[in-house]
Amino acid sequence: MKADAALQRELPEVLRTPELTVGPVTPGSLDDQVLKFPAQKPPRAWYIGFAISASVMTLGLSLIGYTIFTGIGVWGNNSPVFWAFDIINFVFWVGIGHAGTLISAILFLFRKRWRNAIARFAEAMTIFAVMCAGIFPLIHVGRPWLAFWLFPYPNQRALWTNFRSPLLWDVFAVSTYFSVSAMFWFLGLVPDIASMRDRTKNKILKPIYTVLSLGWRGAASHWQHYEKAYLLLAGLATGLVLSVHSVVSFDFAVSLVPGWHMTIFPPYFVTGAIFAGFAMVVIVLVVVREVMDLKNLITDYHLEVMNKVILGMSCLMGYSYFMEGFTAWYSMNEYLHSSFMNLITGTYAWAGWLTISCNVLIPQILWFKKARTSYFWMLLVAMAVTVGMWFERFCIIVISLHKDYLPSSWHLYKPTLVDLGILLGSFGLFFTLVMLFARVLPVIATTEVKAILPGGQPTHQGGGHE
Amino acid sequence: MDETLKTRIKAHLDQEPPRHWRSLEERELTAEARAAGWHEFAPGASEPMEVPEEGLSRRRFLGLVGATAALAATAACSKVERGTIVPYTKRPVEVIPGVANYYASAFSEGSRVYSVLVKTREGRPIHLTGNDENPASLGKTSPRAMADILRLYDADRLRAPRMNDLPASWDSIATVMMKTLGAAKRNGRPVLLMTGAVPSPSRRAVIADFKEFLPTLEHVAWEPVEGLSQQAAVASYGAAVGISPKVDRAKVILSFGADILNGEDPLAIAGFAAGRRPSKPGEPMNRLWVFEGAMSLTGASADHRVPLKPSKLAAAAFALARDLNATHGVALPPGVDGAALPARPAEVPESLWKALLADLKAAGKTSLVLCGAQMPTEAHQAVHLLNEMLGTRGTTLDVTPAEKLASPADLMALTQGMASGKYDLVILWGVNPAYANVGGAAFAAALGKVPTSAWIGVLPDETAALCKIQISENHWLESWGDYDCGAGTVALQQPAVGTIYDTAQGEEVLLHWMKTLGSLLPADYHAYLKDRWQEKVYSAGTPVAFERYFEAALHDGYVQLPAAAPSALAFQGGAVKEAASRAAAAGGSGFELLLQPSATVYDGRYANNGWLQELPDPVTKVTWCNPVSVSVADAQKLGVTDGDHVKVSLGSASVEVPVVRQPGQAEGVLVLALGYGRTVGSVASGVGVNAYPFLDASGASSAVRSSAQVTRTLVSAALPITQGHHKMEGRDIVRTLTLAEYAQEAGKAEKKEELITLYPEQQFPDHKWGMAIDLSACVGCSGCVVACQSENNVPVVGPEQVTKGREMHWIRIDRYYEGDPANPKVAHQPMLCQQCDDAPCENVCPVNATNHSPDGLNQMVYNRCVGTRYCANNCPYKVRRFNFLEFTAFEKQPETLVHNPEVTVRPRGVMEKCTFCVQRINDARVRAKGEKRPLRDGEIVPACAAACPAEAIVFGDLKDPKSRVSELSRSDRGYKVLAELGIRPAITYLAGLKNPAEGGTHEG
Repeated sequence: MKADAALQRELPEVLRTPELTVGPVTPGSLDDQVLKFPAQKPPRAWYIGFAISASVMTLGLSLIGYTIFTGIGVWGNNSPVFWAFDIINFVFWVGIGHAGTLISAILFLFRKRWRNAIARFAEAMTIFAVMCAGIFPLIHVGRPWLAFWLFPYPNQRALWTNFRSPLLWDVFAVSTYFSVSAMFWFLGLVPDIASMRDRTKNKILKPIYTVLSLGWRGAASHWQHYEKAYLLLAGLATGLVLSVHSVVSFDFAVSLVPGWHMTIFPPYFVTGAIFAGFAMVVIVLVVVREVMDLKNLITDYHLEVMNKVILGMSCLMGYSYFMEGFTAWYSMNEYLHSSFMNLITGTYAWAGWLTISCNVLIPQILWFKKARTSYFWMLLVAMAVTVGMWFERFCIIVISLHKDYLPSSWHLYKPTLVDLGILLGSFGLFFTLVMLFARVLPVIATTEVKAILPGGQPTHQGGGHE
Repeated sequence: MDETLKTRIKAHLDQEPPRHWRSLEERELTAEARAAGWHEFAPGASEPMEVPEEGLSRRRFLGLVGATAALAATAACSKVERGTIVPYTKRPVEVIPGVANYYASAFSEGSRVYSVLVKTREGRPIHLTGNDENPASLGKTSPRAMADILRLYDADRLRAPRMNDLPASWDSIATVMMKTLGAAKRNGRPVLLMTGAVPSPSRRAVIADFKEFLPTLEHVAWEPVEGLSQQAAVASYGAAVGISPKVDRAKVILSFGADILNGEDPLAIAGFAAGRRPSKPGEPMNRLWVFEGAMSLTGASADHRVPLKPSKLAAAAFALARDLNATHGVALPPGVDGAALPARPAEVPESLWKALLADLKAAGKTSLVLCGAQMPTEAHQAVHLLNEMLGTRGTTLDVTPAEKLASPADLMALTQGMASGKYDLVILWGVNPAYANVGGAAFAAALGKVPTSAWIGVLPDETAALCKIQISENHWLESWGDYDCGAGTVALQQPAVGTIYDTAQGEEVLLHWMKTLGSLLPADYHAYLKDRWQEKVYSAGTPVAFERYFEAALHDGYVQLPAAAPSALAFQGGAVKEAASRAAAAGGSGFELLLQPSATVYDGRYANNGWLQELPDPVTKVTWCNPVSVSVADAQKLGVTDGDHVKVSLGSASVEVPVVRQPGQAEGVLVLALGYGRTVGSVASGVGVNAYPFLDASGASSAVRSSAQVTRTLVSAALPITQGHHKMEGRDIVRTLTLAEYAQEAGKAEKKEELITLYPEQQFPDHKWGMAIDLSACVGCSGCVVACQSENNVPVVGPEQVTKGREMHWIRIDRYYEGDPANPKVAHQPMLCQQCDDAPCENVCPVNATNHSPDGLNQMVYNRCVGTRYCANNCPYKVRRFNFLEFTAFEKQPETLVHNPEVTVRPRGVMEKCTFCVQRINDARVRAKGEKRPLRDGEIVPACAAACPAEAIVFGDLKDPKSRVSELSRSDRGYKVLAELGIRPAITYLAGLKNPAEGGTHEG
């Protein structure tokens, strides 16, 4: 029996008996297991966690208020490092979001059924990460109260935006990304909310669920429309996975700053984003499956597959770093060359090596199956990747900027406590939103998991159609 | 077709097409009915809202009234505070709102006179330039002179007289003074009047008159950092002398620690630069040799530079005299024995020495030897000797009798006199001896013992705080006066603004007191000055009446009188022997400490000036403090680096200062700037440390001290420095060629591949503004930086912000070292917005806040800027400045009065940068349009170019092939910085040139 199970796991997914859950799971038990959370009082741990993350969030928001009131001079930004934590955090959070879209959209199109159990959570994380990201471009400008000028809206002064500026592309890319992700996420939620509507006895929640479920009755026509819409949005979101971070990378690649001006940036950024996003998903899912006791739905297999993705991305990151160095050498461009040398030998070389270690070296442990299935190793790798990817953006932004063309204007950068506080606050905001989400909405798409339960799909063995 | 048919067809075609009629009137085809047929609505209902030439319909009238009322109401709803604007009921003569007026005036810094042109707007002085008509200024002035306009509006100014720490009326002070002066006169008690140097003939006359009424008056003229060399002058010439170099006439210039190019003397820079810009190879160039202990701007521009301890300079100079005599046959002056002179110091390489000797011999009269004011007495004597030998007096050098200034030793004696109760009354006018003096503390204590002390000055200082009577003095821009510029030129000073506060000028105060002693002189200094001019300056034979003569002088700012006959001061060779033996023995153990006035705040008198505090030291690039400069080798030995604090002690004096490592500084030498560590003044106090206690009150070389000790402390802090990296990293940023290399390179125009651009070519229909900067002429004096700050309302950000790298200067002087840190080559490069044709800043701004003008300016629209700072990231020159914090809005009057109303004051969150002084461009353009003529080349002069004493910056229209800037841009020395980026900057730099002597190795 044991050997059988092991054999099962070794088989490619398509050849496997569709058993992406552990133990007996029926549609009814699944609903009971997942949909009970919004209906019951959360455990003590939730309150403690929420209190901590909300406090950190409040700290961050207060510091943002202070910044807006005083000016961004309270940060460490200077000349020539005009961008620092503000844009690092922005790129970092946008990147975190990418895993969610990849899991929910691209893996959907590739018919990867293991995504079904984790897509909801990953997508929620996308939305929260983009919300965290969205704060930074807004508050980093010198006059945030005029940031709406970045939108091309008709005005009596006949002023128009500059469509040549990558920052403007960013505005469109990120806002599109946020709205499509939110739509996609909400669409997936509709059948689940309908289930909750049907289950709840709470007089306040019922009308809310009723409105949010958009009159879902589970009719065949509903399902037909739903599946079409879901497929279309998945197609739309797939493009966005590639485009958003490519556009973000244009902020750098289109400029002429040595260390930014490189053609490798769009794929390099997309890879990095997926990499960082998966790491964050792993961290959160490990906590969720333990705390919410969902180990039978989010199985070891799920984690292992995600760790494989992380490993693959890590290798791609290594290639990207190598290419950066190769380009610097092969181009014979002295500015690019010295920019790369700064990365590995300059004042901030520790950040460069930290990035390379965290993103390329440490994840190599995932070649071992033991590591891929061990909480210790996978969490270590995931945290290392999160740190490493933050520092990668630090390297790209700060190291490139602090020494550019004229040595006379070179200047070191040193963040202030406000910078660190706002970074921390963004994590506070993210985890506050994650915890609120886990509290009020189903963290697993029950309808999608039902589709992959044994017998959930017409099979040849079952003789459903024959 | 016959004619009839044609006519019929035509008639048919001309006929109105048949149409259905809508009313009977229309059918009847009256004009009115036809017109009505075209309008759907009743007449007047759909009229456009424009005022017809005559008459208004009732309807339109009501419409306009309604709209006016609505708009007026809307406009009135704005909550923005509006100040009261009152039109002139009686317009002052010459003042047209919006049009600048210029007045010629003058002022002095110690005994150095600056003849200036004051730009005023609506009665407020806002900008200073040199007086271009006065041959003693030639339109140029010093950075400090330009910045001194800020003192006029300094919030710290003493705004009314005070007595015993309470506000007092002029009358009550006059009463006290009458009593005190009267008693002193009756009892024959000495009264001390201490002033700065008095280069003003009329002020001298006032003091002389004062002395006449009060025979017991002792007048002491004292300058904290001048006059240190007078002892040497007395030894060499038997009297205090002023040495004015004519650098433009010199072919070979040899400096022993003389920093002639530091900006203080614009004519020296102009003269030097004039000899260093050959337009083609083969044209002659002057040659500058520098022996110095510190690294100075002069050393930076030198063709050969030898780092040498200041104590060794005298020996080197004497040895030069000896070898000139011995090997080149230059006669020694009578009384000088060549054998008594020391031999060449070992620090100077022999090949260089030989080349220098040959150079000096060949140049003869057209050479020029100078000695720094702070250098030891013997060095001055040796330089006097060299000049005598070479016969430079009269050609490249004028030696004229000068005012005797009190030495530190004199001041010590004075302090003792005060302490012993010698004086009943001490009047201190514009001096700060309680601070800027080695015995400052003793002076302060002694001053406390004087029964009555009166202080006359503009900004309360350490001395004012100790005086019983404090008299608020006019700023020089509120005052009358005259100054002796030398060579028969007398500059006239006139007020450019009425007194802002309850102040009076010093001369007037003295005249007033004299009146109480019974003088009949006018108490009004203007009248006094005019009377004196009529009597002494105006000669009876002049064809115009005095009034017109005086007005013409006021207009021009100067008069040219016949120059005095060259002085017959004879060189006294007798003192040489003793000086030479002292020179040979000079130098002691430990570090040698050189104390020199700060390049920016000078002797401390400008310490309350934010512009000057933030102006980077032209050599170290440090702002807002006076670190001790240590040679690179010594720093290594001491184990210190930039920003580490050390304790410098010498005798009883010691200070804790940060270190700055100075390439090129002689080993074993420490350099510390005077003028910092003030304790009074909202800007000045607490900035840097006071180095005056290190001066030697007794010795002959009071500013060069031996046996200084340096110990490390554990403190270390980042320096407020504007340039932290000093190497060019092998990049093609500043090009420097020797004359020989230039001859080789010229004509081989570099053909760099132009990168293709995605965007259409920029079109410049009328003008394309551009600039050419001659790096061979630029000495790095930083006058352009101050001029720009004044012209463009550039804010002062303070030391913390400079440390963070957020200084706001629109133009900066980049300074690079290349080669051996013991004696590097130095390159300067003024860096400002390059106004690129394909500006990388423009295409990245998401809101189009920076864009291109049709005349080639990369313009910045402040009120459109939201502050993404992307433009600054993408600027390869890093010349864009961001308002990280609110740097200006919290300024209040009087500080805001210095702002140029033509230039927007930028709020926080906004990017700013050099505009090529677009306000000046437009001003010239409007003027040309008004006069119906095209713009002339050279008509538009940006503030930096106007201020540049070296004329290194030339601005003009690149579309005009004959303009000066076009010609220079085509120069074979021309190149563009970072041209390889394909951004097409509009500024052409002309490679710097060095003229090393043949045989001498190229040392710097």
